[in-house]
Amino acid sequence: MIGLKGTLNIIDNSGALVAECVKVLKQKVNNGWGSVGDEIVVVVQRARPISAATSASVTAVKVRQGDVRRAVIVRTRKPVRRPDGRLIRFDDNAAVLLNNKREMLGTRIGGVVSADLRMKGWGKIASLAPKAI
Amino acid sequence: MKVEIDSFSGFRIYPSKGKLFVRGDSKVFRFASSKNASLFLQRKNPRKIAWTQVYRRMHKKGITEEVAKKRSRRTVKHQRGIVGADLAAISAKRNQTAAQRSQFRLAAISKAKTEKKDKETKKAKPASAPKGSGAPKVSKQQMKGGKGR
Repeated sequence: MIGLKGTLNIIDNSGALVAECVKVLKQKVNNGWGSVGDEIVVVVQRARPISAATSASVTAVKVRQGDVRRAVIVRTRKPVRRPDGRLIRFDDNAAVLLNNKREMLGTRIGGVVSADLRMKGWGKIASLAPKAI
Repeated sequence: MKVEIDSFSGFRIYPSKGKLFVRGDSKVFRFASSKNASLFLQRKNPRKIAWTQVYRRMHKKGITEEVAKKRSRRTVKHQRGIVGADLAAISAKRNQTAAQRSQFRLAAISKAKTEKKDKETKKAKPASAPKGSGAPKVSKQQMKGGKGR
């Protein structure tokens, strides 16, 4: 249940650590709240510092503080109901940054994601994650 | 159909029931009811709550009857024949009196003694006869053409 000013941990290796939601992109029915698998617009609040050595390499930090990016929610504290009837709840809200073509900005994901992502068309993110629960 | 186990109380969770909680260290906990989930989130110890499975197992609840039943089983003695001695022979031996037994024993001893004596007398006669009248002492090696000693 992510809305305006909701903060999320960013769990990919794009360089961002914490981001704040500024917009939940519309779907048919989300009533202004984002859940797992929904796309949002975020402002990067805290990012890994950019050093000269890392900026030259392949695994360069791609975002800095204050950047506005798209992201997809991968974990929520709000329980989500599964088709089989059970509820699933995580300990934090988390997201993965995207570019404008809905592709991942980072190359790796550190941390579990919800298995609902696969249902909602984010199979690549679910497969990149170490575990999809 | 997969039946899960509640991580707090140990109850069974049937499909369509329950709640999954994924902690920050990505450990998964399953709860059958909000009661279990609530107690877990309050960090209660299931070993101290009387209705949980771990408590009942710890305090040996609900298994006393089985233990009593197990104890009541006794080993039943039964007589059977053994190799070379069938049941009739064994029972006959068991039922004889002490006097009878000593009698049998004496008889057996005297019999064995006479047999031994007979054997010795028999042995003594043929043993003395062939002595000296054998072939000259030749070892097997010599017989085969070896040097011998």
